[in-house]
Amino acid sequence: MSDPRADGKAKDEGFARDAIPWMDDVYRFALSLTRDPADAQDIVQETYLRAYRSWHTFEPGSDCRRWLFTICRNAFLRAHQRSRHEVDVIDGDAESVAAARDHRAMIDDGTDRLLATLDLGPALDRALDSLDEPFRATVQLVDIEDQSYEAAAGILGVPIGTVRSRLFRARRQLQEQLRLHALDAGIHGGAGHGGRHA
Amino acid sequence: MPWTPASTAAPATGGDMPDDARSIDCTSAVRQLWDYLDGELDEPRMNDVRRHLETCQACLPHADFGRRFLAALRDARARRLMPPAVRSRVMHVLSQAGFTDG
Repeated sequence: MSDPRADGKAKDEGFARDAIPWMDDVYRFALSLTRDPADAQDIVQETYLRAYRSWHTFEPGSDCRRWLFTICRNAFLRAHQRSRHEVDVIDGDAESVAAARDHRAMIDDGTDRLLATLDLGPALDRALDSLDEPFRATVQLVDIEDQSYEAAAGILGVPIGTVRSRLFRARRQLQEQLRLHALDAGIHGGAGHGGRHA
Repeated sequence: MPWTPASTAAPATGGDMPDDARSIDCTSAVRQLWDYLDGELDEPRMNDVRRHLETCQACLPHADFGRRFLAALRDARARRLMPPAVRSRVMHVLSQAGFTDG
């Protein structure tokens, strides 16, 4: 017969070792979903409380961060009463080709080199916040939290093809925002020429 | 001027291009570029795209731009830090639920 106190200690040790270290990551993901620090804080709290109470369902040795992201996403959906079933009709391949066309335009007018000289951080953060939630969450998971397409699909509850198409569409939108940022900053490209910094 | 894949503007069969780089054309390479940069292709296709990028002057800038863009996105990790007060609050709520840390 197991000792309840020993079981509780083992549970807490496992939770402290495997789940607690990912709190920053869960917060970033929550913030990408809510765009509001106070709401993100509530989602993180809900995520960890649910994770602790459901710790017996976590499979030791599996990817705890991915598990937490899934709980976080579900907590967000519950809080905002959104449907888990979303259908995208974006063609990932078409997005790839369109992205290349956009790259070429930026390369041709010199914007790509000028962007390399700017501090992109604030502009990228604004651009990220401007994306619709499904696109924002996908970029956050794949591009920032380094999740595979498959892992992101599992977390978001959508097919891999949907992750891919959302990701490529979102990247195009972000790049367009950066191009506008360069223009707003008074930077004018020009093939083969530099430009003044913002 | 809109970008036109080199393979449609001119066949990717330039004299400078080694035989093994002709296995995929620019359109195919560009179509797979994001998947390639994300490491999501299987090994043969990763090799196809890599070989193409190593030798195609038209496609290399796309890959360089994509890498810089993705690196800038990854840097968002460092900019979006959780306030210490959030951790304290979550740990407090967990302790009320019975969690003992250490």
